[in-house]
This record gives sequence, structure tokens and C-alpha cells, in this order.
Amino acid sequence: MTAAWVLAVVVLGTGMAVAADVSGPALDYTLNCQGCHLADGAGTSGGVPQLAGSVARFLAVPGGREYLARVPGVAQAPLDDAATAGVLNWLLERFDHAHVPADFTPYTAAEIGRLRRAPLTDVETARRALVRRFDAAP
Amino acid sequence: MRHDRSWIDRFVERTARDVARRTSRRSFLTRLGVMLMGTSALPLLPVARAADDARMPAPDESRLTGDVADPKSCHYWRHCAIDGFLCACCGGSASSCPPGTEMSPVTWIGTCRNPGDGKDYIISYNDCCGASLCMRCDCQRTEGEKPVYFTSKNNDLLWCFGTKSRAVTCSVAVVLGVATKS
Repeated sequence: MTAAWVLAVVVLGTGMAVAADVSGPALDYTLNCQGCHLADGAGTSGGVPQLAGSVARFLAVPGGREYLARVPGVAQAPLDDAATAGVLNWLLERFDHAHVPADFTPYTAAEIGRLRRAPLTDVETARRALVRRFDAAP
Repeated sequence: MRHDRSWIDRFVERTARDVARRTSRRSFLTRLGVMLMGTSALPLLPVARAADDARMPAPDESRLTGDVADPKSCHYWRHCAIDGFLCACCGGSASSCPPGTEMSPVTWIGTCRNPGDGKDYIISYNDCCGASLCMRCDCQRTEGEKPVYFTSKNNDLLWCFGTKSRAVTCSVAVVLGVATKS
């Protein structure tokens, strides 16, 4: 009786779980970004910036749009320009929908191609300068 | 006043008395205890722990035999790009850390094909951190691995970032999902 109870609970628990299919920008994020930025975009304190609830704030400050396409993770991603634009547009919506400006136009492959060829040499300084302007942004 | 009571009162009273006659309080307590123990034991199972953080449990491995089906073997299908000591040989499992160690949240991620169903599964290689090197079941495979200047895809690095301890113990291979081309 008791063994059957436990078994039933275990079977119920494992039976419900099925490996999820992942494709498109979500797959590109999983394979190329998630290792450090984590599945929920939380990042790692002191090392990897958080995406969740803040990444789209860069779009509201001058230079922020360009910054997002030039950070190391984006500029050096082993993805072509179109796939990189796709994953960047996807993660802005996925992790910070609330801060995506109403007039936001998605990144294009050509724009990513142009920006990633001028990568940032001092990311932290550039980031601090932009973050300081967050509160003044609309 | 008995006739003033509603039918539902009478029904509940009759049912309660019926149950009280047929069962003992001790048997109820026994079953309740078993159920509480059973459900509290669930998180101890590797499959439940691997499901944390939206992680997915193991795919069907019933058609696999030999080394490719053995989590303690370097040839286990999920280990196609692992570099380290296999946690399954170190007191953990292919997807959970040994007691006393902490799974690094920062990880590197690749895919391995499951020969059982031919699908490409997304595998997260997490290091378990907090004890000395396990030194059992050393395994190095490099499918899809990139040179060290692609740090996010290199498995020679120690991946104990975001953990209390930087001491690496062993490595796990957690299945995150199925990779499909769109």
C-alpha cells in the first residue's frame, strides 16, 4: 500500500515532464547567451549584467541602441548578423517588454553588421555613462 | 427541532458518522504521514532537481544500451562535450551535484544527439563547486567545443562562477530541451 502510494506520486511527477522543443531566437539565446545571462535573464551579480527588467532601458537614452549591439556578448556572438539581430530583438521583448519604447524599430541585420564591427573597448565605462542617464529618460 | 435541519446538514452528519465507523483515526494518520513523506521526498530525486529553473528531465533513454546509456561512462551520450570528473561517479548524478557542493549557475551550453531517438538535445554543462577535485571518471570530449578565445564555448575553463566556492569538484550534463531548426 505505502509503496504503491509513493510510486504513484513519483510516476505522476515524472510523467508530466516532457523535454521542450526550442528553436529560432530562443535556441540561439540558449546556446550562446544563457550560459552566463541565465535562462531568466537574471545574470550573475558582479560579473554578468542582468537583462530582466532593465535591458530595454538602454533604448531610451542617446547611444543606448548602439551600445546594445556593440557589447561583447552581442558583437562577438558566433551568429551571423541576421541571427544576432533576431536574438537581440527577441530578448528585449522576452526580458524587458515593459521598457521597450512604443516607437522601437527592431534591429536589422545591416544595422547589427555595421555596429558590431566597431566593438566597445571599455564596456564598463560606456555602460556607467548610459545608466546614469536612465532616470532622466522618458 | 430535528426536522428544522436542512438536508445538507443531515447528509454531512450521516457521511461523517459513516466514515468514523468504517475507519480508524490511526489509519488516517498513517496514510497522511506516508503522503507527506512521499511528497517531501520528491525534491530529493535527481529528476525533480533537474527540473528546477525550468530545466527539463531526461529524455527517453530506454533504447540505449552499453556505455552510451551509462551516466558513469565518458561515452554516455550526454557527455559529448564535457570536460571534467563525472558527478555520477562522485556521489551525484548526471544532473545533480554531490552533497556538500553547489551547482554553478553560470555554465556553458551545447547540444548532443541522443542516438536513441536521433534528436539533438540542449545540454548544460554545470560544474559542481565546493569540495576538492573528485578525481574519478575523468572525461574529456570536445564535440562542438570552441578554442579558449570563445570563452562561452570552451570547456577547459573552470566554471565555478556565482558560487560560494571557486573549488571545482565535478561536472554534470543537464538536459534543457530539444534543439529544433526553425
